[in-house]
Amino acid sequence: MADAPAARWRDVGVRYPYADAPAVGPASLTVGRGERVLLVGASGSGKSTLLATLTGLIPHTIPAEVTGKVELRGENVATRTPAQWSADVGQMFQNPEQTLCGMTVGDEVAFALENQALPAEEIETRIGWALAQVGLPENWRSRRTMQLSGGEKQLVALAALIAQHTPLLVVDEPTAHLAPAAATHLRRLLLDRPGDAAVLIVDHRVDDLAGLVDRVALIDADGSAVDGGAPRAFFRAHHDRLAALGIAIPPPAALDAALRADGIVLAEAPLTMEDAVAGLEALPPGEKAAAREIASAFATAHQARQSASASTEFVAALENASCAPLFGPTVLRDVSLAVRRGETIAIVGRNGAGKSTLAASLAGLLRLKAGRRTGPMGAISFQNPENQFLAGSVREEVRDAWLAAGTDAAAAGAKVESTLAQWRLSELAAAHPFELSQGQKRRLSLAIITAGGRWPLLVLDEPTAGLDGAGRAALEAEIRSLAAAGHAVALVTHDLDFALASCARTVVVDGGGIAADGPSGAILRDRALLERSGLAAPALLPLLDFLEENRC
Amino acid sequence: MLSRVHPLAKLVACIVWLAASILIFSAPFQLAIIASAVAALVLIERRSPLLVLALMVPFALFGFGFLTTSVLFRQESDFALQMAGETPFGREAFSAGVVLFLRAIACGLVSAVFALTTDAGQFIKALMADWRLSPRIGYALFSAMQFVPDLAAEAQQIRLARAMRRGRPPRRIPDPLETASLIVPLLAYAIRRASRAAIAMEARGLDAGISRTVLGAPLLHRRDIAFLGIAFALLPALWWVSRLTP
Repeated sequence: MADAPAARWRDVGVRYPYADAPAVGPASLTVGRGERVLLVGASGSGKSTLLATLTGLIPHTIPAEVTGKVELRGENVATRTPAQWSADVGQMFQNPEQTLCGMTVGDEVAFALENQALPAEEIETRIGWALAQVGLPENWRSRRTMQLSGGEKQLVALAALIAQHTPLLVVDEPTAHLAPAAATHLRRLLLDRPGDAAVLIVDHRVDDLAGLVDRVALIDADGSAVDGGAPRAFFRAHHDRLAALGIAIPPPAALDAALRADGIVLAEAPLTMEDAVAGLEALPPGEKAAAREIASAFATAHQARQSASASTEFVAALENASCAPLFGPTVLRDVSLAVRRGETIAIVGRNGAGKSTLAASLAGLLRLKAGRRTGPMGAISFQNPENQFLAGSVREEVRDAWLAAGTDAAAAGAKVESTLAQWRLSELAAAHPFELSQGQKRRLSLAIITAGGRWPLLVLDEPTAGLDGAGRAALEAEIRSLAAAGHAVALVTHDLDFALASCARTVVVDGGGIAADGPSGAILRDRALLERSGLAAPALLPLLDFLEENRC
Repeated sequence: MLSRVHPLAKLVACIVWLAASILIFSAPFQLAIIASAVAALVLIERRSPLLVLALMVPFALFGFGFLTTSVLFRQESDFALQMAGETPFGREAFSAGVVLFLRAIACGLVSAVFALTTDAGQFIKALMADWRLSPRIGYALFSAMQFVPDLAAEAQQIRLARAMRRGRPPRRIPDPLETASLIVPLLAYAIRRASRAAIAMEARGLDAGISRTVLGAPLLHRRDIAFLGIAFALLPALWWVSRLTP
């Protein structure tokens, strides 16, 4: 089996018990040795399910009816238990917070290596190496994992994954909760594997990944897998299909499509915005001016402007506030921040900086340790969307939200259906909220919190985590519409392109306080500030620089 | 200092002390055990005397139940009464009750010495490495320990979500009705969380059918043997001293 691919699915279909339709498939996909493959698909398309069949977790541990055949290095996966495949396949799941096994960071990284009965000295060496690779200090070994922030837990889970040195890594949204600089570093780390080690990665944030993978595969609307080939060609050839499926398209590919729609074809399909700018520079002078106009319109569409309804009336304000998470120590001191009606604010910063704590304090949901808060209570969409679900079905959740907003029962019906359609939940209306995929849960939580527009201040904590392209677009439109109606929206996010596109103002949290506060267009273009705060520049930046340098 | 003793050596010593406390029905002996445990916590471990006093409260309440039962239902504790008849606490029934009361506190404080001076993670590792505790059970215990604080945070987030729906901040302390309504969602969370952790552990090779390395398990040192020797020698000494009490 020396020449067999790292992994192969042959017409694999999965149907969960009592489900009307298959969760995925029949799908065929091959990951060659040493290959780095990106698997994309709309949320709920069955990507995570397909990954779970790889070592037999489905159906061995998670009951489901599986058809077709799955092979690892030419061997049928059914010949071993999932645990016995762990030396060959390293897996990282969508929610590392809930899958940590060890008491301390060191225990967590050591867990899989201990299970392989490696010598203690070898395990110690690998722990040190893996922690250094993900940028965690050596003295974190004895730190309790339960004391870490969501992003820090993700870093520990990644360290544990790469320490295994398996010939195949399978990762499901590995950087969803990481700050941009850390996310970029870790994506490179994951995909820069030695020898014939292969990587299969599922992610909705494909901007950085597109340039790092060898091949892109797509889960289509009918559940089948489509081998899309090299990423450069893939995003150009499949742009319309991706858009129709609601899959996120990297900004350079979207710009390329906008140019082609007007008959301007860049010499090479761009993978990064730097590629796109190079392509624009290389255009003949006649086309360059027209291309510049299109690029300018593209850039304008991807930058938020202050809502016309923004007023001077404050919705909520913190004065010299000391903020602390529930049952935790003070993480931010002497914070003063005021939000006006119709204002959209992005709260950004490195992992563990205190962004969520600041946002929850601003909404009045956390008691301040010192200082003062004024304004009515706001609402928050939690990082974990499951915390918001109280009803037995998706439709009931949305209905309850409308009723709580003061809509009478007779009028609620039509509004519920309209909300379900807006968030692409109509087909899932009868499902229990916990049966949904991570992205679908995120959409439902956003649908609930925005229904009825009853909150003067809405705090959305990492709302794009797990969202596909269509979900992001719907969220962006909803934020714009809420701001236009006079609501204030605070967005805690690691997605700086989304922050630039949806928020007119940005607050950078760093060093136990607010490091910067100002218009997004200025803050998110301040490379020195972004670097100091552990942030990476938005993908759009090279285009903005190009447009400035080539002003008409 | 006791924190540096091997958890299993400490466990054995504590079990023997608990057994002695249960088997020797003497108020002075129970008092001697209580005094030793308090001394270990306050003088050796430098714990606050107030903390030690607070720790005694639930055990004292438990023991008080024995005291009242002995006084009110003396015919059901003949053996205890006979044993306590030789003690200087006046009426037989009262004496028996006092011994039972002190025994509850003594057992509680010996357990507290173990719990307060033992790292839970090190204890489970020692059980897996030296007493062949199944890794499945060991890591289930790890998960459970991780889970407890998460459960409190989850409960708080559910309360916040509900409060938002109602449009008013949550009460500082939930009333009995709200507490009861949290049980089902928290149970559902616990089940989901446990199954995710189990899947992750299996995917990472737990119980793959080969013996596993246990990294960082505490090693037995000479000082642990010395600790056991002292702990075992101290018991007869305490018993002898307690016999001298008039």
